[in-house]
Amino acid sequence: MMHGSVCIWQRDMLVLKRNWLSEVATVLAFPLTFFLTFGLGMKGYIQDIEGVPYAIFVVPGLISMTTILAAFDDGAWGMWFHRIVQKTIEEYRVNPITVTDIIIGKIISGFSSGLLKGVSVGIALLLLTGFQFTLTHLLVYLLFIFLGCITFSCLGSLCGTLVDKPENLGRIEAVVIMPMIFMAGLFFPLSAYPDSVLSYIKAVPTTALFDGARIALLSGGVDMVYLGMLIVSAVISFILAVRVFEKKMHG
Amino acid sequence: MGVLKSMTMTTENEIELRHVTKAYGNLVAVRDVSLAVPKGMVFGLLGPNGAGKTTLVNMLTTLLKPTSGSASVGGYDVVREAAKIRSLIGVVPQENNLDRYLTARENLILHAKMHRMSPPSYHRRIDELLSLMGLVERQKDFPNKFSTGMQRRLVVARALVHDPQILFLDEPTTGLDPQAKRAIWDYFLSLKGKRTLFLTTHNMEEADFLCDQISIIDNGTPIASGTSSQVKEMVENSWFYEIEVAGKVKEYVQAFQKMPFIECVSHQDGVIQVCLKKEGSLGALVEQIDLKDLKKINSRQPSLEDVFLKLTGRRIRQ
Repeated sequence: MMHGSVCIWQRDMLVLKRNWLSEVATVLAFPLTFFLTFGLGMKGYIQDIEGVPYAIFVVPGLISMTTILAAFDDGAWGMWFHRIVQKTIEEYRVNPITVTDIIIGKIISGFSSGLLKGVSVGIALLLLTGFQFTLTHLLVYLLFIFLGCITFSCLGSLCGTLVDKPENLGRIEAVVIMPMIFMAGLFFPLSAYPDSVLSYIKAVPTTALFDGARIALLSGGVDMVYLGMLIVSAVISFILAVRVFEKKMHG
Repeated sequence: MGVLKSMTMTTENEIELRHVTKAYGNLVAVRDVSLAVPKGMVFGLLGPNGAGKTTLVNMLTTLLKPTSGSASVGGYDVVREAAKIRSLIGVVPQENNLDRYLTARENLILHAKMHRMSPPSYHRRIDELLSLMGLVERQKDFPNKFSTGMQRRLVVARALVHDPQILFLDEPTTGLDPQAKRAIWDYFLSLKGKRTLFLTTHNMEEADFLCDQISIIDNGTPIASGTSSQVKEMVENSWFYEIEVAGKVKEYVQAFQKMPFIECVSHQDGVIQVCLKKEGSLGALVEQIDLKDLKKINSRQPSLEDVFLKLTGRRIRQ
């Protein structure tokens, strides 16, 4: 058990390493554009939010966004490509590894890719803003990022298992994932929502990630409700991704 | 029920199927197939596209579960002991499912790692196989830069990396030039007696050249089984001719189909293939052809293709 997962993860990391420069350039472009337009462009028009300068307020969210989008993309497109285009999943399946090894390998790859890309964006943004934080804040922040990254790598792998047409994967990202990110208070505090809406927004796992991670990095505080929500989301999405893949492969 | 009568079900059989059926809803891809392949044999499964060959291979390589019946490979049940089977087998699938983001060598290394081979042993083995397949110079290239034939050779090499006890070869030489095809056939022949080979093919010459036993399958059911000579004996009371005419091929084929002494008739590349029930009826057939149109008549030995044509009325490659 897990030997096959390690083989698949090593394969994916070899490919990521080979394309690292182009991958990082692509992954930096999106959050840096947001940072320049919102963080810097709008900061003259927006007052500090809860005592935090606006440019600093958006940084934790942009790092979280990069991380989970990369984890989702890697999980979804990686699985889809290996299953539908290259049919390498079929090759893996005639080797002495299990179907569970394959899906776990792919989830770990999505997680690793998301985390590495998130760290790259984090370093770039922290250099740009000169934002200072303590090691404790960073470790608590990383705990939230870890859980979000696992959840979205699992959800990506699940979509890559279930969806056969590439345009539908793009639609899921546009209609489900992006709204989940933007509604979670990436560019504004949750207190801006009316009370009647806020309870629904707080039930979305991305809110637990974005708001919880921001609190952790800026103040070092741990919102246990958010943390609990993220742990439950990670466990459910992992079980779903593994079970659905096993069922699909075993017919 | 399709049963390979010349073989018996014993523990010496490397591959066994017992009344295996695979259905997708109402569509039955494989119907009540029983067959046995003894250790060290090269077994060939012949049939047209959609006959059920790949479905059968997918069940034996543990990719699909039978709807009913049972099957074993290397003495292990394909459903209950799939993991054990996968360590014994090498598979050349119909499609070249190579990883285009890994080099040729890295594709082979990944396969070796999944089989838990140590680096010294897999590097040595990969060097041998790359040399055998004529890919040494291209080992650092990515497979999407390869011709179809080179990709095929790499897929065959990948299936052989861990020196499997049983090889499943689904159309293994499709897309290869005659020289490469011959080199791979010679390698497969060198494995005869030491390894068990289960081959599916359209290529009658390949089946004739390599296989100890043959089973012809159509619509999911074996329709003829035995050695190549035994199968050809099924048409021993028929006489085969190739008639080349200048045009009007379809008109002549239609006319021949109405004649009572014609067993089967087909055409390919402007040549009409006929099979006669009686030896002396060629004269009556020739009388139907305008002598201005007649270019050539050849008598020929029956082939496995003729057996399929006689049994089904269709050619394997339509």
